[in-house]
Amino acid sequence: MRVLPAFVIFLGILLATATLQAHHSFSATYDGNKPITLRGTIVKMGWQNPHAHLYVDVKNADGKVVTWEVESAGPTTLMKQGLRKEDFVGAEVIIKGFLAKDGTPTVNASSFTLVESKKEFVNDEKTP
Amino acid sequence: MRRLTIAVSVVVALYAQAIPHAQSRSDFSGTWRLSQTKSSRAVVGNTPDIQFASQLEVKQTPTDISGVATSIRQQPMSATYKLDGSRVNVQAPEGITETGEAKLSADSLVISSRRSFSSPAGDIVVDFKEVWTVTGNELTIEKTRSQSGESSTQKAVYDKI
Repeated sequence: MRVLPAFVIFLGILLATATLQAHHSFSATYDGNKPITLRGTIVKMGWQNPHAHLYVDVKNADGKVVTWEVESAGPTTLMKQGLRKEDFVGAEVIIKGFLAKDGTPTVNASSFTLVESKKEFVNDEKTP
Repeated sequence: MRRLTIAVSVVVALYAQAIPHAQSRSDFSGTWRLSQTKSSRAVVGNTPDIQFASQLEVKQTPTDISGVATSIRQQPMSATYKLDGSRVNVQAPEGITETGEAKLSADSLVISSRRSFSSPAGDIVVDFKEVWTVTGNELTIEKTRSQSGESSTQKAVYDKI
């Protein structure tokens, strides 16, 4: 019986740690001096809190396709702006954001626009 | 009497020339802090398209204008621009190259700059255009970011401290 509360506490600590890792500060991961604009096709959507993640295939100038991970606002913020998870896999998108510091194809999106509908979604959560 | 009239005319003419010259250039010198209340949410919200410095330290002389931009989310950048519009290098963080030029007109300062850096998408080039206007203790900067055929413009307001 003593094992169950200990297991629940352990599970709670694990969950709390995972949430903290997911909700990092902008400056720790991204470079505000390196703005980037990308145009590509959404191939996958990660619809989780605290940030939704888009996976976007972008063709470089040399023709090579690179899959970018795009961190966006949370699902609730995007849904308030009219976005649904199933709306846009396969859609062409223009992303404006900031490059990751670690040199990987990762970007923090300040906004993204669906090319066909011209609908723009912004990361408008107020900075604390 | 004639000499006096000529002397007065010369003085008046010189004074009349001096007034527009003195008025012809705005002074942007000072320490300016981004106003959270006067700037729009698109500027002070979370991850805006265009990043503005939190604080600007500006020194202006008759020939050049120098500035240091500091921000919570960006490393500091500084430059001394010649007011004749010649191209100068901006002191940027490692891995970033930036050049810019400034032109001072009657009521505004226009700074045009080009930033380049490498990325997994290849070499990135971003053009910025800033239009500065000052009214009393308030500095307004309209900034346009252009990249890959896309551009956006935002306006930020700074208070003198």
